[in-house]
Amino acid sequence: MRGRTLLERSELFAGLTADQIERVAELGEEIAYQGDEVIVHEGEASDEIYVVREGMVEVLVSEGAIPDVPGPPQMRPIVHLGPGQTFGEMALVDRGARSATVRCVEDGTRLYVIPRKRLLALCDNDPRIGYLLMRNVASDLSFKLRHRNLRVRLEGKGRTQ
Amino acid sequence: MIYKVSYVVTGGSHPGAIINQDTPPDVGEEIQLNGERFEIVEVIELLPPRDDLAYLHATCRPVGETP
Repeated sequence: MRGRTLLERSELFAGLTADQIERVAELGEEIAYQGDEVIVHEGEASDEIYVVREGMVEVLVSEGAIPDVPGPPQMRPIVHLGPGQTFGEMALVDRGARSATVRCVEDGTRLYVIPRKRLLALCDNDPRIGYLLMRNVASDLSFKLRHRNLRVRLEGKGRTQ
Repeated sequence: MIYKVSYVVTGGSHPGAIINQDTPPDVGEEIQLNGERFEIVEVIELLPPRDDLAYLHATCRPVGETP
């Protein structure tokens, strides 16, 4: 990858030096998933942030249970996230429960998983890393919101389903 | 430069994707998302570049679909 590590290619690490990226990378571990495997469930406690190194994941939200219809709520896919993307970062900011379910959609998808508490401890101990990581998390959330707004705008024109 | 691309699909059921890639998407180019083929019909700069990242949006439609 042109001399870059896969983690360096993620926006989460933008602006960090190689040494700073290494310090963050030391906090986590790489985990491989297979097709259809659920990685996180909507509503559950959130303790990690994930970076997609290879493959693709699908983010789904429940459309709400209908009182007269038995069975689990319908799950609606809202976006696929490929290499370099992060998810679970909302928990880094608000410590809330998972807002969506995320599942693997490509065999051999590899994720870098970083425990939230360890990442926050590093941010507290090194404010420069903390500033850059939080700036990058905010930027990524903003990008996702812009993506979502564009999709809604195109839906409004009847251009997507 | 790394290109962070927001792909929105018009028509069909694909929810779209966000992907980092080495080259920018081009209008008329075909891409594959989870085995489905799409044609890129529009590319815009979503945000000014920062650090080594460029932020783009691409609108796509299923291959073979007329506008």
